[in-house]
Amino acid sequence: MIVRLWGARGSLSAPGSATVGYGGNTSCVELELADGTSLILDAGSGIRELGQRLLERDPGVLYICLTHLHLDHVEGLGFFGPLWRAGWKLRFWGPPSATATLRARVSRYLSPPLFPIGLSEAPSQASFEDVPREPWRVGSAMIEAQTVEHRGPTVGYRIEEEGHVLAYVPDHEPFLTAALDDHPRWISGWALAAGADLLLHDSQYTEEEYAHRVGWGHSSVAHAAAFARAAGVRRFAMFHHDPMRSDRELEALYDDVAESVRDEQEPPLIAREGLEINLGATP
Amino acid sequence: MERKQPDLVLIVARSFATKLATPTLIIDGHGNLVFFNDAAAEVLGRSYVDIGALQASHWQELFQPRTLDEEPMTAEQTPGGVALLERRPVHDSFTMRGLDGLEREITVTAFPLFSHPDEVVGVMSIFWEPSGAS
Repeated sequence: MIVRLWGARGSLSAPGSATVGYGGNTSCVELELADGTSLILDAGSGIRELGQRLLERDPGVLYICLTHLHLDHVEGLGFFGPLWRAGWKLRFWGPPSATATLRARVSRYLSPPLFPIGLSEAPSQASFEDVPREPWRVGSAMIEAQTVEHRGPTVGYRIEEEGHVLAYVPDHEPFLTAALDDHPRWISGWALAAGADLLLHDSQYTEEEYAHRVGWGHSSVAHAAAFARAAGVRRFAMFHHDPMRSDRELEALYDDVAESVRDEQEPPLIAREGLEINLGATP
Repeated sequence: MERKQPDLVLIVARSFATKLATPTLIIDGHGNLVFFNDAAAEVLGRSYVDIGALQASHWQELFQPRTLDEEPMTAEQTPGGVALLERRPVHDSFTMRGLDGLEREITVTAFPLFSHPDEVVGVMSIFWEPSGAS
């Protein structure tokens, strides 16, 4: 499984010279599975460029897992080439709702007045489903979704292939519902991340910022690192960077978190647009 | 490593209970007691840390719930049990014996915790001691 990051910014796209190092596009991760299947996690602005790359291929099937429907995770759909090109089949999964289908909820954005073209006008074949309650297979991988602590219905994903595990929990505030030294089973998202080879986790705030934003649905970098330790992940990547955070500030935060990793963990990462990690590669 | 964990609704309910000053008790979808808060510990006679999680039959045995007419109640007959089995809110009064040995009358409001429209993952019971310990 090859993991490619097309967007790691949170909340709002943040282009500019101060963010050019780690990138300003919002959440989008591409997984290239061993059997060639393309699995996409979230549809933030990073999915625009991924779509351009995909259009270089013959039309085929794409699988897209949305963690939730906040704009920074769906705003790229309006500019995702395969959605607007006949011949492509797109299969979407997203968080369940008791009141509206996933298609209806995505259409709230992809419809006037927020967007000029309606989702129903897209010439591709797009299907929308709530995430299954049990793990399901996509290509050569098994996917598991669980609701996690964030504002509104939100899921995280665990993708497992050939014994390698990616956990993707980009928007998550586990500290709101449990002390991170609590029994792990009472920590939101723990089962998704437990023993993962790589965890991409919400790291939006500094400790000082978090103190003023408790309950907003995001983690401080320190909380994210503590969550990674509690889950026993091999490697943790700071993800969903605050749009106000410059590259230099991100690196300063990294220095703090790098000191807290355990011996059995590999050094953490700052998620960066363009970063490619092969989880199947021999360390 | 076993990765099973409670549904997020139960995790959030437990977190909510820790912050409430009103006695609150939570059972999971199997009827097992999985948490009660410090205010509930005052009524139940011991803290959750001391007791830990209990299977349905065990906590019924420990607290010996009885109707106001002194009839023994099974776990399924308590408000929490009815809320779980019949998937509806319940408000009722009964007596129970705290682990400090004191018999108490309590009034309980119990409601099922739905994680999906068709799935109950547990019950939250909030209770009061209308007449105090006797």
